[in-house]
Amino acid sequence: MVIGAGHAGIEAALALARLGFSTILVTQNLDAIGRMSCNPAIGGIAKGNLVREIDALGGQMAKLIDASMIQFRMLNASRGPAVQAPRAQADKALYAALARRSLEAQSGLSLFQDTVVDLLLDSSARVRGVLTERGNHIRARTVVLTTGTFMEGRLFIGDWSAPGGRLGEPAAEGLGASLRRRGFTVGRLKTGTPARGLGRSLDTARMALQQPDPVMRPFSFSTERIERPVVPCWVTYTNEQTHRIIRDNIHRSPLYGGKIVGRGPRYCPSIEDKVVRFPERARHQVFVEPEGLGTDEVYLNGVSSSLPEEVQEAFLHTLRGLESLQIVRPGYAVEYDYLDPTQLGPGLMTKAVDGLFVAGQTNGTSGYEEAAAQGLVAGINAALHLQSREPLVLSRAEAYIGVMVDDLVTRGTEEPYRLFTSRAEYRLSLCHDTADIRLLRHGRMVGLQDAGAEERLERKLRSVEEIRELLRSRKVAGVDADALVALASHRGRSFEQALRDPKIAISELAAREPLLENYAGEWLSLAETAVKYAGYVRRQDDLVGRFRSLEDKRIPPGFDWDTAAGFSTEAREKLKRIRPASVGQASRIPGVRPPDIAVILVHLRRAR
Amino acid sequence: MIVIRSPDDPIAALATPAASSALAVIRVSGPGSLELLSPLVARRFDPAAARGHTIHRCVVKDGDEDVDDVLIAVYKSPKSYTGEDGAEIFCHGSLPVIQRLLSLLARSGFRAAGPGEFTQRAFLNGRMGLTQAEAVNEIVRAKTDRARGLALQRLGGAIEDRVQKARDALLDLRASLEVLIDYPDEQTDSGVDTEKLDNAERIVMELVHTYPQGRIYQEGVSVAIAGATNAGKSSLFNLLLRQDRAIVSEIHGTTRDWLEGTASIQGIPVRLFDTAGLRAATDALEIQGLKKTHEVIDSADAVLYLVDGTRGMDAADRKFLDGWQRPAPLLRVWNKSDLRGVLPAPEGFLTASAVTGTGIDDIQRALAEATLGGAPFGGAEPLVDSERQRDLLTSALASLKRLRASLSEGATPDLLAVDCAEAMDSLEEITGAVTNAEVLDRMFSRFCVGK
Ligand SMILES: Cc1cc2nc3c(=O)[nH]c(=O)nc-3n(C[C@H](O)[C@H](O)[C@H](O)COP(=O)(O)OP(=O)(O)OC[C@H]3O[C@@H](n4cnc5c(N)ncnc54)[C@H](O)[C@@H]3O)c2cc1C
Ligand SMILES: Nc1nc2c(ncn2[C@@H]2O[C@H](COP(=O)(O)OP(=O)(O)O)[C@@H](O)[C@H]2O)c(=O)[nH]1
Ligand SMILES: [Mg+2]
Repeated sequence: MVIGAGHAGIEAALALARLGFSTILVTQNLDAIGRMSCNPAIGGIAKGNLVREIDALGGQMAKLIDASMIQFRMLNASRGPAVQAPRAQADKALYAALARRSLEAQSGLSLFQDTVVDLLLDSSARVRGVLTERGNHIRARTVVLTTGTFMEGRLFIGDWSAPGGRLGEPAAEGLGASLRRRGFTVGRLKTGTPARGLGRSLDTARMALQQPDPVMRPFSFSTERIERPVVPCWVTYTNEQTHRIIRDNIHRSPLYGGKIVGRGPRYCPSIEDKVVRFPERARHQVFVEPEGLGTDEVYLNGVSSSLPEEVQEAFLHTLRGLESLQIVRPGYAVEYDYLDPTQLGPGLMTKAVDGLFVAGQTNGTSGYEEAAAQGLVAGINAALHLQSREPLVLSRAEAYIGVMVDDLVTRGTEEPYRLFTSRAEYRLSLCHDTADIRLLRHGRMVGLQDAGAEERLERKLRSVEEIRELLRSRKVAGVDADALVALASHRGRSFEQALRDPKIAISELAAREPLLENYAGEWLSLAETAVKYAGYVRRQDDLVGRFRSLEDKRIPPGFDWDTAAGFSTEAREKLKRIRPASVGQASRIPGVRPPDIAVILVHLRRAR
Repeated sequence: MIVIRSPDDPIAALATPAASSALAVIRVSGPGSLELLSPLVARRFDPAAARGHTIHRCVVKDGDEDVDDVLIAVYKSPKSYTGEDGAEIFCHGSLPVIQRLLSLLARSGFRAAGPGEFTQRAFLNGRMGLTQAEAVNEIVRAKTDRARGLALQRLGGAIEDRVQKARDALLDLRASLEVLIDYPDEQTDSGVDTEKLDNAERIVMELVHTYPQGRIYQEGVSVAIAGATNAGKSSLFNLLLRQDRAIVSEIHGTTRDWLEGTASIQGIPVRLFDTAGLRAATDALEIQGLKKTHEVIDSADAVLYLVDGTRGMDAADRKFLDGWQRPAPLLRVWNKSDLRGVLPAPEGFLTASAVTGTGIDDIQRALAEATLGGAPFGGAEPLVDSERQRDLLTSALASLKRLRASLSEGATPDLLAVDCAEAMDSLEEITGAVTNAEVLDRMFSRFCVGK
């Protein structure tokens, strides 16, 4: 069973059903399946990588956005291939409709509208099903919990406050209290969203147009090409007047007035936060993004706020181009229950209740992609659990998903957790276009990927090898140097040597060599990265090697942290609670120090 | 991330105190350590082929050159202190010899062991009972605390402070790179602040350069006393040693050979050499002594040249003083200042009396300053005195140089971040562990980011 049909629940339910388990997805409102609560976009830095990793493992998100995007941009094009990431504006309604249709079409999967209020456990703390608001007992051998911002959710706008998971949607009440009663550590987090306006009330002539990429590139490794209508976005800025209005009314914010206790994200601050914390900034950027083709609603990216509605209106009207903005929904904040994710094992199953998995916002994360990735991992592991197989645990060196899950279950989080590339130690190895190379075999092993996908990957690897061979053998000739000045100093050298020059791009070389030009752009850029980054990658690989040696030292699940001698008291407490699966994971627990690691190593050697 | 050394690379370290003595013991351990020793010893004996618990006499060679005549005790896994293959090298306890051997081992693939690392390995390899775990805990703890505590106590935290400053500058730089990467649409005022890089590089460079000084305090220097016969060399030698080792005599040429003793001068361990007087020798024994004298003088880190102030300089003195070409400092001393007939000291001479002791303080201070390379001495300047710190600083410096090169080549932020992270890694091994969370904290506190 999966509880909640948000981005996490969708992936979990599809994975379980596709792996052959009869699955039921219980959610509060079937019409709200796959809704994007906040911004109408999928992907972005690190998040785009997540989406492609989800696809490589056999998840759904990439396919959904490929079929619903209305604008595409490859971010960080100038900041290095390792940190480039795809981002697409989505047609919100279409995205949700496609999500719903994919669930409905999945055999072995049933949908049911109800609200879960408690878990059913057997005498040995194994999950046996759930109890719903309407008194239904639904039996299940595993349960994946993905409640998003709904569990005991509460909405705030200025002085107004009411229970709710999203504006216009009721909270899921009762479950949070049940989980607390059952001994789980449940905390409160907060997040917010900006107001939405009507497109025709914008003065687009007074705003800068943000140019989309000319070509839409697919997230899914199985999508060949995308031909969809493109709509533009605009950029405008706050100003001194905006900030003054906000400052003058700051005491009316539920955040600053002390009504909200939950911690909000620092990386996605409300405009109130930005103005208060960075008084020296004269302006803040705001992106105006369309919400879809079937609506004229626009999203105001960058001015999330929970100030009273009239204040929101007043400050928004000070922005260039928004002078006569017609607000259709106000910005608001939501506070909700989350489970401390250190209560989970590395497969996202709770340590206290066998068969209970948790994913998405309930684990303290935020973001559709983060939620979907966890949902997929939880769904896969619920299936593996039912098959009595070892859980799928991705390493920090092989996937952003691995970084995120490890961070959550090892370190926990006290603010909504969002993935950043800087959370990964080895990000050069985690480029979005290598997700299939890194992860497809896992998808295959689990059973979510078929032989066709494998063949596609083999063709890609073969082609990259061919390109590299061409680069090595082809020499820079006089005519090349005449056509491209930057090549002059590389005359007589191989294309590969020339490519190491930061000033030379593979597209320029491909234009000089018809054999190269035949290859797909993504394959060319893979070869380019391999050549340009060789030295850095080698240095990073040394570090990865060191990292792996500790990661490979597994700690048996039954390890007795209570009686094992030699730990400091603080470390013992932490180790007991986290129950690390490897020495490497143990070393990342805050409060565990090198001597404690040495003690673990001795115990492991003894045990052998 | 906590830095844990992979527990199976070959390590080496001096097991006896870093001071001159009759004998010193260098310990090596780790898989492959005996194989690494093999090419270093004269052919007849192969440590890799030797049986465990055997002792061998041999000559350690650096290429074609003999370094020292040593005894090597071979231990085979698991019957050794650490449980690994290993050896103990008993060598002569002179500091230059020890230094030479350690650097030879380093070049041959041994890593300098951290404090307590042999014990740690013994522990990890089950050579020690779990009852000893707590004790070992303490020792292992000393390893990290050394980066933190020892430097802190001994040097008033000065090195740590500096390293922290450099690391802080890099953290800022890193955070600004991360903002560029993680917030591409954001118009932050951050670019790559080369001033931060300059800062970090300057601090690290300064610290690396204090290493020779730090090393002087740790390992000491050799000082030869030279001059004409009867200038008072042996008297000064005894005075500095505070004991009567050399025979003081009015008969010219009493000190035929050279004598050696250890003194502490301004906190610097000094190996002092009293030499035969420099004069035209006649008999074979004296010629032999003179040859030795020149050898000692030529290999000394500093030379005290004595002139009998009542007699003044003669041609031989002038020849020696004017002909001095070595980089090692040469101090001129106008001795016997207590005597009435003493001539006025020429410029550049320190006046002293080896009998009454006047002027000896000046000599000691001058000697310390000269061997420390004229740097401000005895002040608050922190000195890097361990090879481990020096190595870490050097590798940080190398990463910073690469970062600068990458910058000038126009490398993208993702690559710059790798260089930056590497440099920080090295510095953090000195100050303690850090997490990526800190980078994020810095990002959010310094830059207004997020839509
Ligand atoms: C106001 C607001 C602001 C946000 N701001 C941001 C932001 O700035 N940046 C960002 O990255 N993300 C933001 N998000 C978060 C983003 O929407 C979520 O991260 C993402 O949707 C989480 O996916 P999920 O699957 O975990 O949960 P959700 O998408 O919230 O889905 C949960 C689903 O489960 C159902 N459900 C919950 N409890 C029960 C129950 N007991 N029984 C049955 N069904 C149940 C709900 O009805 C819902 O359909 C914001 C969300 C909100 C509401
Ligand atoms: N008055 C006086 N006599 C000294 C001094 N230094 C050495 N002498 C005497 O000079 C003679 C030679 O001294 P010695 O130390 O043997 O000289 P060396 O040949 O240079 O080693 C001895 O009689 C010493 O007592 C000094 O500073 N003052
Ligand atoms: Mg003498």
